[in-house]
Amino acid sequence: MKDVAVIVEIIESTIQDISYELLGKAKELASQTGGKAVAIAMGNKVDVSSLPCDTVYYIEDDALENFCSLHVKVLSKIVQEVNPKVILAGNTSIGTDLAGHIAVELNIPVASLCNKVSVNENVRATSLAYGGKLLVDLELKERGVILANRGSFTAATEGSPEVKKLSLSDIGIEADNEIEFIDYIKPEEDVDISKFDVLVSVGRGIGGEENIDDAKELAELLGGEISSSRPVVDSEWLPKSRQVGRSGKTVTPNLYLALGISGASEHLEGVKAKNVIAINTDPDAPIFRVSRIGAVIDIFDVIPVLIDKIKEIKD
Amino acid sequence: MKICAILRTVPDLVEEIEVIDDEIEPFAYIANERDEHAVEEAVILKERYGGSVDVIGIVDEDSEEEIEEPLAMALAKGADRAIKLTMSNKSYRRIEQAKALAEYFKDKDYDLILTGIQGIDAFTGMLGPMLSVYMELPFTGYVTSVEAEDGTVKVQKELGGGLLGEFRVKLPAILGIVSAEKPLRFVPLAKLRQVMKKAEIEEDELEIPEFEGVQVVKYYEPEKPEIVLLEGEPEEVADKLIEAFKEIGVL
Repeated sequence: MKDVAVIVEIIESTIQDISYELLGKAKELASQTGGKAVAIAMGNKVDVSSLPCDTVYYIEDDALENFCSLHVKVLSKIVQEVNPKVILAGNTSIGTDLAGHIAVELNIPVASLCNKVSVNENVRATSLAYGGKLLVDLELKERGVILANRGSFTAATEGSPEVKKLSLSDIGIEADNEIEFIDYIKPEEDVDISKFDVLVSVGRGIGGEENIDDAKELAELLGGEISSSRPVVDSEWLPKSRQVGRSGKTVTPNLYLALGISGASEHLEGVKAKNVIAINTDPDAPIFRVSRIGAVIDIFDVIPVLIDKIKEIKD
Repeated sequence: MKICAILRTVPDLVEEIEVIDDEIEPFAYIANERDEHAVEEAVILKERYGGSVDVIGIVDEDSEEEIEEPLAMALAKGADRAIKLTMSNKSYRRIEQAKALAEYFKDKDYDLILTGIQGIDAFTGMLGPMLSVYMELPFTGYVTSVEAEDGTVKVQKELGGGLLGEFRVKLPAILGIVSAEKPLRFVPLAKLRQVMKKAEIEEDELEIPEFEGVQVVKYYEPEKPEIVLLEGEPEEVADKLIEAFKEIGVL
């Protein structure tokens, strides 16, 4: 029980970036435990030959091409065989479905929303709880399943692992229909916010649909676009295409002007801006921890003045 | 469809949270936002397909009172029953809550159990997937819409980066809701007060087992990196922002 396993996330037959981040961490942890970094990948026609780790368990089958209830069954079998000390998964839609399940089934303690992990006799992890307002150091007895936030670890790039390729029949698992994949849905996009150099991004603090226009005007004046955090999309004040974060887009603008955004970790996962400037009435809002410049002031007091002043400059 | 939605309270992040080493004392509790979406989706499904919605509010002795308004809100929106389940002891471990709930759900015969995904206090795992193992039911999370189809539900699940996947899930099942398919409906305060006056909130106890595999070593505030704070009246702040925009090269 020295190995460090990574649940590789594959969507549309593509290995997701988070898997390389987890493998980077797995190699580091395995060098401390004296074990191997092991990748567990389930899919169909996926090239796993250069994954950066020591061993890849690759279970290939037509039925595993897209995520379904078979994945959790296969994973459970393989994890029992590998018997790792640590299992790393992404704190993502697929990662949480899989890891939460196998942790209980195999009776391994679990820590989620993590950005740090270390091993000694036990497993230690740091979790970004309470929307990023607090950190929690957790100790997991002997072994642990760690769900890590995107962007927490440095990605490893390439390797030449030993690949153990298996089929469903090799491991004695039959197809089932508990959860069947039907299709992918790609929402129509009015705009690709990840392509803009300036984003004026609004959060719950924008208060209502009627205030969106001011933020839009400000974005236009700065030559950018408007984006948002999840609550704004949930309330249908802006379309889904504008959402930044875990479920939305990852953006890399020169300027990310965050207006009334608290900065929960699921939002910050998508913000890779060069300069974050935040305006929020709550001085403890986590958004200020990733901002270069901040102002603790009501956005409604400052936006109209800002718009007028920029207009003056432009004239 | 016989539906159950799980509603929990979480610390109100707008208020102070006092940290005392391995414990925290929040100043106030509010309904977990994602659970409110689970309740909303449950009511949407009842309106579309008929059936019933039970909402269970899981609380401990500290958050017992704060659940009453969200439970009344669920009744005002169209839930049929509201049940307050008080945990026999305070537990931050999702696995203990999941095991206790699985026991509670025995013989309740729900077709669908909806829970919000990953509350802000979900640092020891997620209730939905854990509950599904103990109940031997299928689970999937990050769900944004549900349609019933002959003993199954067709769900849309967020996969990240704006991509959605469509899946067919055999009933009975547990789903983790990230957003209801429509925005949370507005309940006027007068109506909520009216419901609260005559609401019958049933009460029960949830026997929490012990699982010591994971424990909190300490809670603490993250370090505050250096930041340039712009202070002053709106006029001054706007001037300083413009300077910053110029320096960054966007103006």
